[in-house]
Amino acid sequence: MASDKDTIAGGEWHPPGSSQSVSARLVEREGEVAAMPAAGEKPLAGAGLSWLEISGRVGSIPRRVTFPDGSVFETWDNDGIDRYLAAQGRGGAGLVHWLEQFRLRLVVIVLLAFVLGGAVYRWGVPALVEVAIWITPPIVPQLMSQGTLEAFDRTAFSPTGLSDAQRKAIAEGFARIAARSPRGEAGYTLNFRDGGVIGPNAFALPDGTLVVTDQLVDLARGDTEMIVGVLAHEIGHVELEHSLRQFYRAAGMTGLIMLIAGDVGSAVEDVLVQGGGLLALSYSRAAEAEADRRSVELMAKAGYDPTAIARFFALLEEKLGDRSETNILSTHPGTPQRKKDILDYSRIVTGRSAPDRQ
Amino acid sequence: MSFAASAGPVEGPGGFHRVAFTGKASEYFGIWIVNVLLTIVTLGIYSAWAKVRRNRYFYGNTVLLGRSFEYHARGSQILVGRLIVIGAFLVLNVIAALVPLLVLLPTLVVLVALPWLVARGLRFSARVTSYRNVRFDFVGGAGGAFKAFILGAVLSVLTLGILTPLASRWVSRYVGSNLRYGGKAFDTDPKLGPLYASWLLSFLIALVGLCIIGLIVFMNLSLILPMIESPDLLTPEQHVPLIISAIAGYVVLFASFGIAGLFYRAGVRNIAWSSTTFDGRHRLMSDVSRSSYSWIAISNLIVTLLTLGLMRPWAAVRMARYGWEHTGVAFAGDVGELFSRIEAQGSAVGSEFMDFEGFDFGF
Repeated sequence: MASDKDTIAGGEWHPPGSSQSVSARLVEREGEVAAMPAAGEKPLAGAGLSWLEISGRVGSIPRRVTFPDGSVFETWDNDGIDRYLAAQGRGGAGLVHWLEQFRLRLVVIVLLAFVLGGAVYRWGVPALVEVAIWITPPIVPQLMSQGTLEAFDRTAFSPTGLSDAQRKAIAEGFARIAARSPRGEAGYTLNFRDGGVIGPNAFALPDGTLVVTDQLVDLARGDTEMIVGVLAHEIGHVELEHSLRQFYRAAGMTGLIMLIAGDVGSAVEDVLVQGGGLLALSYSRAAEAEADRRSVELMAKAGYDPTAIARFFALLEEKLGDRSETNILSTHPGTPQRKKDILDYSRIVTGRSAPDRQ
Repeated sequence: MSFAASAGPVEGPGGFHRVAFTGKASEYFGIWIVNVLLTIVTLGIYSAWAKVRRNRYFYGNTVLLGRSFEYHARGSQILVGRLIVIGAFLVLNVIAALVPLLVLLPTLVVLVALPWLVARGLRFSARVTSYRNVRFDFVGGAGGAFKAFILGAVLSVLTLGILTPLASRWVSRYVGSNLRYGGKAFDTDPKLGPLYASWLLSFLIALVGLCIIGLIVFMNLSLILPMIESPDLLTPEQHVPLIISAIAGYVVLFASFGIAGLFYRAGVRNIAWSSTTFDGRHRLMSDVSRSSYSWIAISNLIVTLLTLGLMRPWAAVRMARYGWEHTGVAFAGDVGELFSRIEAQGSAVGSEFMDFEGFDFGF
């Protein structure tokens, strides 16, 4: 008879695929692990340790020992199983379970989780975004841009109604600033369109396609330099790859939130998603400010008034402030702040100090 | 803890054996924080294994008649399933971005694929779950999933919630009646009457919330109208009551709709479980109290947010314990005899190795 010291754990034994169970104990005998009935000497199942499948330890839930014949021994005695595994040099309950135990060292893990979570948000996601941009072949922004322009042409835009002279003046100014951008003049194509329902607007597509609407040109009332300033801002968006960056950042954050959602619960997930949306808005505002500064630099290099784009914001404020539907203003950061930042930055760029210090 | 020892005393009124939940917040805390840490460190890859450990803990602590349920999925299976779904989603979105005419393609494919993925996901979840060494199985198809989850949701939204009980009935019937254990069928048929009775209470709660919001708007009408006409004319002092009422409005909105939703969910849980039978003879039962359930859910969320997530393990264990302790089964005839006859049947055996999880779907 197997002595008590050979008993690994007590529990229940199931024949293969059956819910029927008999009270049993797991014993080691003659180098084999066997399930013995509580009363009786005939083993129910047995095999060498390496033939057994023993489920890993999670908390104190029951352990399963599956024999090669498909029968299963189930026990609540986790410690008994772990003692046996450790004695056989099989590492006991394993590293993950060791980490999980409710001991003082968990404080370190909590701190690590917060610190690393912050680090992933601060550096990990931006680094992944850079990698994604780096491996995105140039054909992708090109195709995306062609597709977008086609879609706009089909739905909202119609051919421009500007005179040749108007277009020529803007195109010449545009060529001057585009030549100062690292991508060079050839890196950009300027398009004129009647904006239709879109109204006064200018935008850049990631491949360097720029669109300016007739309505924006009308709004400028002949101030070509101001339009060039707006286009320099759009060149800034293209140079700094803002649209791809924002897309990848949003995708990365959403993905991370979804992956920890199972652990934080759906309500907290909703809160995180809303917070992520607010953060995305702040990134969008930061991108606008970056593009503003790029406009100042390019305009200064090309010998224009570096603050020309500030005149555009003044105009936007004046014209669209009159109307109730101010959807352009709402997507931008505060316009007075933007004007002030542009004026400040232009002083730095042109090397002049602030007027009150002169 | 042998089956014979615990079979007797847990039997309550009406012959119901209640389910017990033996998980502990302190124990789950360690599992949870290590899951979160490893998920962050591996940029999300570990989350598949994290899900396995989490589910093994919760299933393994859900105890009926002294024996626990078991979760058998492996991390690699879940990871592969997720990669397939994410990969397909990315490819579709890239195609849509490149070819603007196909901008609706991802939406269409998701609409077509979603029911199939839901059915696969339910089947996967059932097949990786076992009780007393026998696996569950799920035999529902994509058509039923479409009716229950998509058609039901669309009808519910289109009728401003009036047909929600019908959708709930379809979902309960689809999930419940397609479930199998050892080749024997579960059957769920919640009646529309009780569902509508439960719905009416939630509808009234939401209605009261809307009335309060309407009252707040009405009281501030003298300030709101000029704000829309000419925002610059309002003085900063006039802004303060507006901001306070806006916040109050949001709180009332979330509180009333949140409580209405939780009340309804608890009501449907009771009705659906209590209308379920196994093998035509054994009855299931749920008797959660709607107010306790809602209080636990709301206080869980508040405590979790206030502790920056650290009390989430406590909250999860608390909710699981409450739910399971208000769930029971009444067996017809001798329990020991019943479980000596149940054998794993056909397709549920081992075939989960060929399966992938498909769609992450709570089960």
